[in-house]
Amino acid sequence: MRFGVGLFGLQNTAMQPAHWAGAYREMREYATLMEELGYDELWLSEHHFFYDGYCPALLPAAASVLSVTERLRVGTGMLILPMQDPSRLASVALDIGRRSGGRLDLGVGLGYRDVEFDGHGISRKQRLPRMLKGLDVLEAAEAAGGFRIWMGAQLVEPVKRAGQRGHPILFSAALPFERCKTLTKIWEEGWIESGRPATTKPSIGALRNIWLTEDPKEREAARDWVRASYVQYAGLGWTLPAVGEHEQADFAEETDKAIADTVETTITGSAEECIRQLREFEAIGIDHIAFRLMLDGAPRRALEPQIKRLAEEVMPTLRDKVVA
Amino acid sequence: MRLGLALTEGREADMARVAEAHGLFGVLTGWGDPMTAIIAAVYASTATQHIRVVTRVQLGLEHPVTIAEELSILDNVNNGRTVVLVDTGDLDHEAAADEIAVVREALSCRPIQHNGSKWKVPAGLPANITAPSSISVTPKPAQMEIPFWVMGSMAATVGAASALAVLAQHPDPINEPRFVQPGLATISGNLKLDREQVIAWAASGVTHLMLQPPEEVELDAIMTLMSRHLGPEVMMSHFPRVMSESRVPLPWPGDTRR
Repeated sequence: MRFGVGLFGLQNTAMQPAHWAGAYREMREYATLMEELGYDELWLSEHHFFYDGYCPALLPAAASVLSVTERLRVGTGMLILPMQDPSRLASVALDIGRRSGGRLDLGVGLGYRDVEFDGHGISRKQRLPRMLKGLDVLEAAEAAGGFRIWMGAQLVEPVKRAGQRGHPILFSAALPFERCKTLTKIWEEGWIESGRPATTKPSIGALRNIWLTEDPKEREAARDWVRASYVQYAGLGWTLPAVGEHEQADFAEETDKAIADTVETTITGSAEECIRQLREFEAIGIDHIAFRLMLDGAPRRALEPQIKRLAEEVMPTLRDKVVA
Repeated sequence: MRLGLALTEGREADMARVAEAHGLFGVLTGWGDPMTAIIAAVYASTATQHIRVVTRVQLGLEHPVTIAEELSILDNVNNGRTVVLVDTGDLDHEAAADEIAVVREALSCRPIQHNGSKWKVPAGLPANITAPSSISVTPKPAQMEIPFWVMGSMAATVGAASALAVLAQHPDPINEPRFVQPGLATISGNLKLDREQVIAWAASGVTHLMLQPPEEVELDAIMTLMSRHLGPEVMMSHFPRVMSESRVPLPWPGDTRR
């Protein structure tokens, strides 16, 4: 399995104030620590026009991390493709790829907030055709080498499309295990329908809320940081739509329930327990885990030891399984 | 007058690091592909701690709100050291002025509601039903106001209309030079010629001169020329040249860099 840490939104929130320039500096420091500890990837996240400065331009932020690291990959999880000029985006991604030795994972998604589209002069109705056109342009650039396209999606059609087009996918941490299982099958159907051989399929990834601890008080705090981090989604007006038997989670209208249900996706416990649960993901074909640790309220004095513990007590066992 | 260095595309981090070590005020990025200028500026930024990072931004290549967002990230990455050199590109003066206005308004600490000749922000498109009538681009830059300079075919008109400094590219005397008056020149690596040139630039009213180094001369030699001879020459009137022409102090044993 491969491991990353996310999601870096570089925010200054009502609950955890910070200087933005300090947040960007700290991200570079986290990145160098992660590289030392053997992590594979750091994941960024994008929103626009939000009070807390949620990072709106992922490629300059990615470049800042790549410029101070040598091995760590940086992923955009997700860059809102319909809002960008795809030709310019491809040029920038190729440039970053050249400068970094091909360490950019260009994750792209559709976006959902009207204000973000309107602020960039784009009708939300145009987001799917712009997404598809943008993918055509990026795929041509990807073939030239230097970066790798990922996709973010939670619904049947876009997940299947990612499989059909041959792109790895990263599932949201808000998706419960069973929904990840359903969507993984759909992605694989798309992959197979497109005539691609099963032996060459790329990673499927998932962000996971996780906190390795045997201490009940630490566990309580970590779960509360997960809760606080999803209050953000209530503010942003996010809804996780229903898929088959899996219910809708409306963070804007049914905030408390949606947040409480999502907190329950958190993996907590001893190293053995974390490994057991992560192996369940591996068993359904998800072999790329991004630990969702950058939570509203989580202080650095808690995060750094957690990043170290996961690297030392969880990752080696799961990596060995692949080697074996 | 202070000196800066125009960086070569693909070598920004290394060159910026050397420029800072030689005490220059700043570096200029984006002289290559205009699409990737801000990424080049990021690389110059993380390689340095103090110098100003001037980045050329060509108009007409992306939505100005997107450009403002990228510039704000750049300014937070370098903790407030960004200077924007706007290139008017292929836009006419009216479109260029409108686009600059959107970028600057977006970087201000007020919500933006812009209805100009080229851009309307927010767009107010019917499909975007829950969009408000104004937006706030965030995060805000680390510095209170990012300096903007202008270059390109429409620079003179746009600079006058927008009250922005126009990049001088000839050492002719400048009418009403601005408090900060940027310039751009190419140097040869020949001490006598380059010294005469920077003295002429200082006399013209330029305050911050970016120098493009010759490709065929080693960077170390050019940097020494700039920091030992050219920079001191224009930092005061009647510079006593003995200061730059006397013997270089001995290095600490084992220290190779002078």
